[in-house]
Amino acid sequence: MNELERINNGAGPQPVAKLDSNLSSLEVYDKFGAMAYGIILQILPQPHLAQEVLISVFSSPQLRSCNSYPFSFAVCVIKLARSKAVEAKKKLTALVPVDDDYSASLDSSSPQTIFDLAFRQGFTPDEVAGKLNISKSEVLRSFHEFFKSYRNV
Amino acid sequence: MKTQDFIESGILESQLLGLTSKEEKEQVRLMMLADRSLENYVIDLEADIRKYFTSESVSPPTAVRELIELKSFKEKHNFNSDNRTGRTQYLDVEVNDTHIKVHKFWRPAFIAVFVLSKIFLIAGLYYYFKSASQQEELLRLKTQIEQVNR
Repeated sequence: MNELERINNGAGPQPVAKLDSNLSSLEVYDKFGAMAYGIILQILPQPHLAQEVLISVFSSPQLRSCNSYPFSFAVCVIKLARSKAVEAKKKLTALVPVDDDYSASLDSSSPQTIFDLAFRQGFTPDEVAGKLNISKSEVLRSFHEFFKSYRNV
Repeated sequence: MKTQDFIESGILESQLLGLTSKEEKEQVRLMMLADRSLENYVIDLEADIRKYFTSESVSPPTAVRELIELKSFKEKHNFNSDNRTGRTQYLDVEVNDTHIKVHKFWRPAFIAVFVLSKIFLIAGLYYYFKSASQQEELLRLKTQIEQVNR
């Protein structure tokens, strides 16, 4: 029984849409491979590294846990691709330190900038809040604003 | 917290993106329990997030699919063979050690080879210079004999 099923306790409306159940790695790759590669490339722009991360995502045992993930499979793949890419990026920057050049974007704490820092640059909401001198709740609210503005486009 | 305030707080978005802390996860769980109307919002939000990232998709090279296929086949094969034979699984261990280990008898052997090489070198040099000086001596005697004969 997954998290949301436990929450719902088998009564009332069905848990959050979960159409993909017990898919094999290749089936998941065929469905979400391009999306995951796009996410990884946003975090790691080097194609050869991004491809290595992509392979590690779809051959990872963690992918199987997406079958019991309370939310949709796509969201689970997004989270996994991001976490693997951020992990690889951290390893890479540990080997070849890169100067943080966020000075230009620090002035504007737009939802886009905040989303970039948190999702693509791999900073935690607390770190983003510290960098932009705003509260954590403002950071989280920016995520909502970001997807709200995307929905309205 | 009211449902609308909770939605606008952005915790759901950060939960779906994997950016929440344990406390926030618990908060989401409790809110989902308290208000079932949130489920519909989460479904819509998931669709939006998926749509957003799908719009930024990039087709990976075909070789990547083949590699994943190969890896999943290997994993399946290993799993099946382990199940059949009941053997324990072996872990692939990458060794970064650049040193090699040899038997302790190699130490005196290396020392002996080293000492012998030095002895042969010194002996070689000694006999080389000795034969060179002998040849000079021979040449000198020859010239002396020739001078006496004249």
